[in-house]
Amino acid sequence: MNGLFLVARREVLVRGRTKGYLISMLISAAAVVVLAFLPKLLGGPDEYKVGVAGTDTAVISQALTSVKPSSPSLTGDAQATVKITEFPDEAAARAAVADGEIDAAVVNGDTLITDGGVSSELSLIIDTAYKQVASSKALAAANLPPDQVSQALASVPDIRQESVGEDAEEAGARQAIASIVVIFLFFMLMYPVMFVAMGVIEEKSSRIVEILLSTLRPWQLLGGKIIGLGILGLINVLVIAAAGLAAASASGVMPDLPPGTISTVVATLGWWMLGYAFFAALAGALGSLVSRQEDSNSTITPLTMLMIACYLVALFTAGTPKSTLAVTLSYVPPFSAMMMPMRSATGSVEWWEQVLSALILAAAVVGALALGARIYRRAVWRMGSRVKLMEALKG
Amino acid sequence: MMEIDGLRKSYGEKVALDGVTFTVGSGEMFGFVGANGAGKTTTMRIAMGVLEPDAGEVRFDGHRLGFADRRRFGYMPEERGLYPKMKIAEQIAYFGELHGLATAKARKSAADWLERLGLADRAGDHVQDLSLGNQQRVQLAVALVHEPEVLILDEPFSGLDPIAVDTMADVLAERNAAGVPVLFSSHQLELVERICDAVGIIADGRMVAVGSVGELRRKEGRRFLKVAVEDAPTGWADALPGKVVGNDDGALLIETDDDQAVLAGAVKAGRVTHFGWQEPTLVEIFREAVA
Repeated sequence: MNGLFLVARREVLVRGRTKGYLISMLISAAAVVVLAFLPKLLGGPDEYKVGVAGTDTAVISQALTSVKPSSPSLTGDAQATVKITEFPDEAAARAAVADGEIDAAVVNGDTLITDGGVSSELSLIIDTAYKQVASSKALAAANLPPDQVSQALASVPDIRQESVGEDAEEAGARQAIASIVVIFLFFMLMYPVMFVAMGVIEEKSSRIVEILLSTLRPWQLLGGKIIGLGILGLINVLVIAAAGLAAASASGVMPDLPPGTISTVVATLGWWMLGYAFFAALAGALGSLVSRQEDSNSTITPLTMLMIACYLVALFTAGTPKSTLAVTLSYVPPFSAMMMPMRSATGSVEWWEQVLSALILAAAVVGALALGARIYRRAVWRMGSRVKLMEALKG
Repeated sequence: MMEIDGLRKSYGEKVALDGVTFTVGSGEMFGFVGANGAGKTTTMRIAMGVLEPDAGEVRFDGHRLGFADRRRFGYMPEERGLYPKMKIAEQIAYFGELHGLATAKARKSAADWLERLGLADRAGDHVQDLSLGNQQRVQLAVALVHEPEVLILDEPFSGLDPIAVDTMADVLAERNAAGVPVLFSSHQLELVERICDAVGIIADGRMVAVGSVGELRRKEGRRFLKVAVEDAPTGWADALPGKVVGNDDGALLIETDDDQAVLAGAVKAGRVTHFGWQEPTLVEIFREAVA
């Protein structure tokens, strides 16, 4: 076990201190932060300018600023606030609307002045405020004490919303998150898996493997490498996920994210680990077949093709997570490593489906590790031309 | 004591080793010589467990050599192996730890060896930035960092400048003096002759001669009388017992069983300025043994 630890520690210390690793981590984290702020930058205004004039300006202003629009979306509109400007008379308010200085004006508490209409959200806000004011007035006119009126109105809860179909906006947001999950998983898997292959080839091509294998068992050398590079990969994943979540809450996108996004992120970590273990075991085995860096392409290519295939299928089915293809492949290793988190992000899977798929993938990981260790053990000290896969399996 | 006993290894049709047998005693410096492709590297790789023999075994202190024994060996493979992008002090210490040293001890030992090998100021450099000769010193440090009980070195002297050769020879002699058996291969036969207690000559996978240099001289080498006689008539030695096999700058090289008769003949022929046995060099022994 000590050998395993030493090998893993070396990978972490040596690879983790390279500029390449640190720079790529910073760039990925920066990219995720930009991604989190993007809706904010591209989304609609988060402040509406509304003018008031004539009578009832105080009550209508108070009502306008207290209305909370509650339709969740990815565009950031839910954070919209209303900025009130008072105008001395109706003419001034009209002029301001015409000039585009304000989005709309409410005159005498019952007339809305717009320049060709307003967005549905602002219209909803103003309408709600107007009805609030109007109903308080009506109730006051019926001789109810004003504080009782406002108390009664304040205790009215928001309407309970249930959808028989999918919330279109939320489905869009979920698809976007599913795609991000797939892209994220792919790149986070690709890097460390390639490092495993390259590391194995480096040791074999420099013949250092001869010295290593006189003090280490092959499984310690391969296992330590997979663990060490896995730890680096995990740090990378955690930094990026943390940067993404922090940026999402800083940019105010967080409350717009569909419920369960955090658990999606956590589950994605688990899928990443299973996927990494599977692909890394194969990468180590394939890397051990060649003695020269130049030969690495021929042996690693099938593995990268497989990873790209998983990636593309998962990406293209993110829009149709309930299709037969998506559902079937979400149980088939190694596709499941990307398909199931994708489906999970779209919110269309039950917990037991995830557990079942994870168990199948975990079994495949055990198989891949056993197979990888077997090939590695037989091929890693055979120098010279490329070792044929079948020879390594039989040999 | 390390015993190599009856090693056989074939690659398909080609027989690489055909019953290689020899012993390296405690505190013995064993020079392993042979032409390229004769089987030196294959033998050493089998001894290090990097390769499995088809038959035969390697024993250490009487028992079959196992993984745990080899962890206490120091090994320098033929094709040098170092991580190109790892700092040399860290790299040496890493191998020390792999061989079972505690972290602090491995670091200390790495620093000591770098000091000893004149690389202390390069401790933080990457291996790929060193000259080949300096990389070889690092390689030696890697083989020695854990105070190995046996040293197996494949061509440790190749590519070294004369000063580095002396350093390497000193270090090996020192380990040797501490009782460590040292097995190394080399094509530099003068060097092997100078520093080795025992020599093994391998040709086509077979050991053709094994023993101390003195033993090999007696067994394998032909020795000649070298006789120089001033103003001697041409052909003065023709009638003497033995055969004239060469002429070394005026002195005759005579192969004979009766040195006294040759001496008497030489005295008769003129003023004898040189008379003595010329011992065969290892180069000559080697040429004859593999011929």
